[in-house]
Amino acid sequence: MFIINFFTILIGKILSGLLHLLGKNAGNLPGLVLWTINKNCLKAFKIDCPIIAVTGTNGKTSVTNFIAEMFRKEGKNIITNPEGNNLDTGITSLLLNHCTMGGRVKADYLILETDESHVPVVYSKLKLETLVVLNFFRDQLDRNGEVETLILKVNKFCETFEGNLILNGDDPNVARLGLANPNNKNVRYFTVDKYDFATDTLHEAGEGRFCPRCGKALRYDYYQYSHIGRFECPGCGYGKNSYYSRFTSVDLEKPSFTADGKEFTTAGNSIYYMYNLCAVYSVAKLYGISEETQRSVFENFKVNNGRMEQFEYKGSSLVLNLAKNPVGANMTVRALNETKGDKELLFVLNDNLADGHDVSWIWDINFSVFNNVTRVVTSGRRAYDIAVRIKCSGYDPDKIVVRPDLDDAVKELFSTTGRKFAVANYTAVQPTRAALNRFINGKENANG
Amino acid sequence: MAKLRILHMYPDMLDLYGDSGNMEIISYRCKKRGIDVSIDKYSLGQGSSTDFTSYDLIYLGGGADFEQQLLADDLLSCRDNIMEAYKKGTFILMICGGYQLMGQYYKDSNGKKIPGLGLFDYYTVASTDKSKRCIGNIVIETEIGGEKYKVIGFENHGGMTENVASPFGTVLFGNGNSFGSKSEGYFEKNVIATYLHGPLLSKNPKVSDYIISYCLSRGGNIRPLEPLNDTLEEKCREVMLERLALLGSVKSE
Repeated sequence: MFIINFFTILIGKILSGLLHLLGKNAGNLPGLVLWTINKNCLKAFKIDCPIIAVTGTNGKTSVTNFIAEMFRKEGKNIITNPEGNNLDTGITSLLLNHCTMGGRVKADYLILETDESHVPVVYSKLKLETLVVLNFFRDQLDRNGEVETLILKVNKFCETFEGNLILNGDDPNVARLGLANPNNKNVRYFTVDKYDFATDTLHEAGEGRFCPRCGKALRYDYYQYSHIGRFECPGCGYGKNSYYSRFTSVDLEKPSFTADGKEFTTAGNSIYYMYNLCAVYSVAKLYGISEETQRSVFENFKVNNGRMEQFEYKGSSLVLNLAKNPVGANMTVRALNETKGDKELLFVLNDNLADGHDVSWIWDINFSVFNNVTRVVTSGRRAYDIAVRIKCSGYDPDKIVVRPDLDDAVKELFSTTGRKFAVANYTAVQPTRAALNRFINGKENANG
Repeated sequence: MAKLRILHMYPDMLDLYGDSGNMEIISYRCKKRGIDVSIDKYSLGQGSSTDFTSYDLIYLGGGADFEQQLLADDLLSCRDNIMEAYKKGTFILMICGGYQLMGQYYKDSNGKKIPGLGLFDYYTVASTDKSKRCIGNIVIETEIGGEKYKVIGFENHGGMTENVASPFGTVLFGNGNSFGSKSEGYFEKNVIATYLHGPLLSKNPKVSDYIISYCLSRGGNIRPLEPLNDTLEEKCREVMLERLALLGSVKSE
């Protein structure tokens, strides 16, 4: 066993060393090779520190970055995957880059964004201390399969997991994981109180309308967004939980939230941003992060990287947000509608492998609620699909401009001055950032 | 004013892959022409209080396995009423799961046989290997309203449908009713059943208009539909057909 582990690490080290020499980013490849030659390769690593994993459909990258920033500010030595690389192979590559030849990983904490379907794969091999689950939404169905299949995979893992389980108590798909192992005393729920734009009826396509325990239709007091809200099963009472952390008085104007009687100012101001922070707050509370650090991170830290990232250009401001599924896109549409005054929208839609080839999810985006949107520019490989979708929601087709080429689209968008929003799906978000930076900084000193 | 009465069955359960978009598109194309549309939503348990024959169009989308199991019994309880409506000429549009449930039976990937409504002779058997699914862009050649028309969509199904008397179209690209099949879907004058998502009507305005015309003709309205500005839709079709190298024979459209 020792010999196998030794060679596993050695091969991996040589590989990632070679890739670095070649100037390549060793994101997935070394891990992929190790998994191919040894299915137990993760067991070759010796990790003594706690591992905190973040999973869920939307918000993984942001929450992972926030938690990492909290620990960093506390002077801890952490290893994390801030750019995603959240599959078994990506996590293996990350560990390879940070271990000794003996496979020892030296850190105070490992904070790992982990793809939902890879939670059981990775943490059947590595000892997990805390699992944070944010939400489950429909996401790239042709790649991931139905949401239910994905939930069942994570649920199965939770059946034998005895570590800390930090769950979104307002998502019926997530809260059910708390029932998976009745012997686990470390299940904690977080919740965000009703906010100003919460609705009485479902506003956007949602999952989990039926009780996972008894199949009855769930009853909602209110919906925050999609199927996230205060729910309860009229049949079996599923949904009645006590909360470990709870955001009260969420104020999107300031923006701020109150938790455990203390008011915190935040850098972002949307409801799903608050849910992300509530997950972060739960981890900070659990690990005894100082109030000073919490305040500073909540107030100042920005993930950027296409997550509610701000751009400025000659009197125009633009917010770019990644949306790889309807809920993500609905969130930007929501933020756009909650912003007063006229605005324009750029929507960049690709259908590459990592996006899912199927773009029918755009029909689950609720565009009928457009509020003071004066123009829409569409771009990407499926620029016309998103244009048709927006048109059929009742939006005036004369106000839709299709520019499949991204540079053309950005130029078109900034041909007017004012407030702008941009939505880009998975493989579109980095090219969109690059195109925005090229345009704003001029072509000569492009950086992306 | 002309009016279209639609019954959208289980919209809260059968709405995978944006299938509810089909209703949005029908409404959009009717409203643009001043045709009044009413869409009633049918939910579990409303069978006895619903007059299916009073509708011009009954629509069922596709759903996840969990939801399809929840509604199977309820749908069976509506069998006779749906059959009567179909015989009296109500148009029935079914996507994916809806398509399967109207046949003889559906045998799922665990070998469990779920009885269908038996409106039509076809039956569906899912591959026992859950990872074996027909997934991808698909283009079929249909003959709709006496004209050849390429219908473009996206298929994602594990079920293989056999014994189809009159398919919706012949496959030009993709799989169709089963792996590597020549035919896709099921078609009658007042029936379109298909695996095509996208949603179906988003890239195929002629299919929408066929359905709308048919429904209006029931009420004695046989005037041709006023044409709409479909520039975006046509461009969207062109991009996909070009990508799949099927543009050669598209001139007639």
